[in-house]
Amino acid sequence: MNLITARAIVEALIFASSEPLTIKTIAEITELDVRTAIQIVAELVDEYRHQQRGIQLLEVAGGYQFGTLPECAPYLEKMQKVPRSSGLSAAAIETLAIIAYKQPITKAEIEAMRGVSVESSIANLVDKNLITEVGRKDTPGRPILYGTTKQFLKHFGLNNLTELPQVMDWEKQGKLNFEEIAEVKNDV
Amino acid sequence: MDYEIKLDIFKGPLDLLLHLIESNEIDIYNIPIALITEKYLEYIHTLQLLNLEGVGEFIVMAATLMQIKAKMLLPQLANNEDGEFLIEEDDPRWELAQKLIEYKRIKEATELLKQCEAKQAQIYLRSSGDFADLKIGAPGDPLKDLSLADLMKAFQAVLESQEKPELDAVPKQVVSLQQRMAEIMELVTQEKHLFFCKVFSMLQTKIDLITCFLAILELIKLKKILAYQDSIFGEIMLTLIEEEVTVV
Repeated sequence: MNLITARAIVEALIFASSEPLTIKTIAEITELDVRTAIQIVAELVDEYRHQQRGIQLLEVAGGYQFGTLPECAPYLEKMQKVPRSSGLSAAAIETLAIIAYKQPITKAEIEAMRGVSVESSIANLVDKNLITEVGRKDTPGRPILYGTTKQFLKHFGLNNLTELPQVMDWEKQGKLNFEEIAEVKNDV
Repeated sequence: MDYEIKLDIFKGPLDLLLHLIESNEIDIYNIPIALITEKYLEYIHTLQLLNLEGVGEFIVMAATLMQIKAKMLLPQLANNEDGEFLIEEDDPRWELAQKLIEYKRIKEATELLKQCEAKQAQIYLRSSGDFADLKIGAPGDPLKDLSLADLMKAFQAVLESQEKPELDAVPKQVVSLQQRMAEIMELVTQEKHLFFCKVFSMLQTKIDLITCFLAILELIKLKKILAYQDSIFGEIMLTLIEEEVTVV
């Protein structure tokens, strides 16, 4: 396959995939080497950007996916008649923020930080597939540890956890480092 | 002061406390506990009047505030295990201050996340609509991909229909799950569309039936075979999942 068709194939793969497609998968399917795959994807990203399309190729949750331009949002909202909302309450987002920045973390730890019960927020977030059980803490009762999901990255437009906006002088408290978490996520 | 609006704003006792501290321009490391407790109790009192749920959490914080106040009034001595008096150097307010600072950061993080979300909400990802026909099973056929409950029911039917008198001496011929899985794979490959009940037809003992059922479940889990029905209450069929069709 020459480079033109390879590009078409990669474009088709990303278009048809319902999940962000990783370079690794693209390389495996097309039997291209990783470097070529990266190059082709980068070309596609550029192409969409320069041609002023309503569609862009985005890097999200560790893969590539087509999405619309933010400028088109008002019209898309008009099309689907209802404005988009996450349906997350202020309390749920606060719980999610704690999990995102402090993961892996137990319910009790979150409750200590928020000073309120987080039972329902956690159920809600698990339900929306934004957080998931990532293991058990090695303390009495072996409480469930929670972490964010791929869906979380997608929902917030992040490529990985290191892209979380920086919070002023919030030390990482000796938790797992982000790369390890990313690996755990990929196994889930 | 309009309390009802405040009820919507505060997400918990820490939130309220932080608000009181900020609105009174108080140094977080040097909280005048008496003043804050007073303002805080004033607020809870309203909560109680309104008889709202979740007052409990606010009361716990009030108790904490009073405990801190009491500690500050007492000489700063503490008993250690040997009954000796040690001078405690920690300010009783320290822990609360740490919690509040941490909570402040959480609020900041929450705000940042909300911004990310709002930004991302402007972008509609391609994943919102799937190509149904790229998935295993025909599009718009709700009967494909049977649930576990359906299979259990079918298995129950098989168990009932095959209740045969047990022989006096049954030769112990134990077929392993792996063997059974291989056999089923072979059958499905041969017949393309296999009747669920047919798989069980030549089996005699309950243990064999169960092993066979487990083998089918395992194969479905491994996405080697697919169980489906052509019509509602119809016969359950098993078919091979072609590797190439599987969407990555």
